[in-house]
Amino acid sequence: MISRLQSIHRRDLLKGMALGLGAVALRPGIALAEGVTVTLADIGVGDPDGNWSSYTDATGNKVNVVSIGNGPSAVLNQLIAGGGRDTYDIINIVGGMIKPLVQNDLVVEIDTSKLKNWANNAYIQDYFKPGSKGYDTIAFDGKIYGVPTVLQGDSFAYLPENTGGTLDSYGALFDPKFKGFVALEDNYTTAGQKTALYLKSAGLADINDPADMTKEEIARVVDFLIEKKKEGQFRVIWSSFEQAVNLLTNKEVYVIDCWEPMVFAARAKGVDAVYAAPKEGYLLWAMVANIVNGKRTPEQIEASYQLLDYMLSPEYGAAITNLRGYMTNPGAPEYAAKSGKYDEATAKKIAEIDAGVKAKFTAPGGTWQARWPTNVEAYEEEWQRFKAS
Amino acid sequence: MNKTVNRRDAGLVLLLGGPVLLCALAIIVPLLLTLMISFWERKMLGMKPGFTLVSYQQFFEGARFDVLLRSFWVALTSTPLMLLIAYPVAYLITFKIKPSQTRAFLFLLSVPFLVNYVIRAFAWADLLGRQGAVNSFLQWTGIADAPVDWLLFSDFAIYLGLVAAYMPFMVYPIWLSLAGIDRRLIEASWMLGEVPLMTFLRVVLPLSLPGVCAAAIFGFVGAFGEVAISQILGGVGYQLMGNAITSALDVLHYPMAAAMSSVVVGCMLLLLLLWLRFFDLRLFLGKMLGR
Repeated sequence: MISRLQSIHRRDLLKGMALGLGAVALRPGIALAEGVTVTLADIGVGDPDGNWSSYTDATGNKVNVVSIGNGPSAVLNQLIAGGGRDTYDIINIVGGMIKPLVQNDLVVEIDTSKLKNWANNAYIQDYFKPGSKGYDTIAFDGKIYGVPTVLQGDSFAYLPENTGGTLDSYGALFDPKFKGFVALEDNYTTAGQKTALYLKSAGLADINDPADMTKEEIARVVDFLIEKKKEGQFRVIWSSFEQAVNLLTNKEVYVIDCWEPMVFAARAKGVDAVYAAPKEGYLLWAMVANIVNGKRTPEQIEASYQLLDYMLSPEYGAAITNLRGYMTNPGAPEYAAKSGKYDEATAKKIAEIDAGVKAKFTAPGGTWQARWPTNVEAYEEEWQRFKAS
Repeated sequence: MNKTVNRRDAGLVLLLGGPVLLCALAIIVPLLLTLMISFWERKMLGMKPGFTLVSYQQFFEGARFDVLLRSFWVALTSTPLMLLIAYPVAYLITFKIKPSQTRAFLFLLSVPFLVNYVIRAFAWADLLGRQGAVNSFLQWTGIADAPVDWLLFSDFAIYLGLVAAYMPFMVYPIWLSLAGIDRRLIEASWMLGEVPLMTFLRVVLPLSLPGVCAAAIFGFVGAFGEVAISQILGGVGYQLMGNAITSALDVLHYPMAAAMSSVVVGCMLLLLLLWLRFFDLRLFLGKMLGR
């Protein structure tokens, strides 16, 4: 009797399991993965200070955040030769380098239907729509490979007390009035592209696309920079966050090509620094999360999709906007205001950051940062020429 | 007796053979690989094995060759400067300080290296800036009316950074050489009537030259391959070879980086050969080993 009951129970159990698994697999949006640890390689911007509890509570999965260098070469080296394809499930890096990632089979196509926060994200629909420059940041050859998690627009900063008023053009970086008090970033895809944007807007050079210049166009940009360098326009070319902040706080320079968080850091140290709203537009960029092409179980892939979806959620967005000062997704300000997790001042701060960055994306002009342009070798060679001149 | 000696030799070979082989593999194999890759062709993000001089041609014809020349010049001129400071320091430690205090002084020289070299470079930038302590002092004393711009982001800042970074390293080999000099030779010079200056020039200096040369090589190699000082204190794209090689790696141009590295290693080998040609390395190593 006992044996018969056990036999029935076992059969029923197996049948039930099979039916249950089938139903779960067929129902969209139901998680297959549980108890999986997703390894997220991040440059330090996408980690909500280790607090992934909402993701873990909702899915039963954990997140292991590992650091990855921000430079395109660091990312590619890590994936090609550093064992990154076996180690990382997701890389969350500054976009603008989808082409080499896809062409070298380092990331896989994203099935956006698995991301419930994708379709209702107005920023994705507006700024990354097919045919736009933003689309090239997440897609290649008509297929989507990246999920935009953080959005920002860069320009330059200045000290109004020393410049004597508002500056609203990249031309300030080359204005003889500030000779010897200007700093540029040591990066051809930021300083180079901003200079190209200025030259194009001012009609000083014939540049078709500042985001992807021909060899002749980047050579023209560098010729201009060399001319300015020889005139003594630039004080220094900076190469690290701290260095740029120190240049502002020590008033070593009055005008600096830099990132907005550097202005926040300078203000926190009591320096009245302003991030400019240039009439030529902004250098737009996004942090893009990609699923790494490696040997993954279906559960790992599912857990990775769940994490990507969480990274598009208002909750994650609010946390990152608050911590890093970047725009994330349209639901973040409302979540910060209504969830009860943030005080009024913080919610207001999140809403202001969101509105500020949104204005950059809707401002006329501008260009998207391309971190691996078609002629990247020529860019590097020309930048060497500028520095060695 | 012979058997005992042979057994001892075999033991020595066994004992030292492994580490020596390991060192040789760890140094020679990567160098050979670098040389080999310098002749390969770049293909997309990778490389294609073969034999081409394209990377060398690009290097010698492009802006990077100017960087090589600048690196040479900076290393060549900063090394004597560092020697001029390191030698008197080593001399004082050897001859003027009580033997019981020698270790303390040598330790003090190593203290700056407990701080990361990048942080040290940033500290110099803070001190030498327009609003830095040096400029504030110069204005406070009335030596300058306005901030002196050339203190930072200039050749001066580079040389200062290099001296601060590598000069202390150079004290050690010079001290080793000086400490190994037989004091009786110096005393003999005095007894024969030479004044201290002539004793120094005709006895101490020649006998300390192996250490001076070792120190010069330490300083030269360090200055030649420097990355952080040129980047942080150099100003508008002040580049040395280390920066140029890093830049090539930023676009994954391995053959170019390998070609530049091979040229640099070749130059260094040439210097070492010259050193070996003019000085007996065993003499110097013997002193280091206390023989």
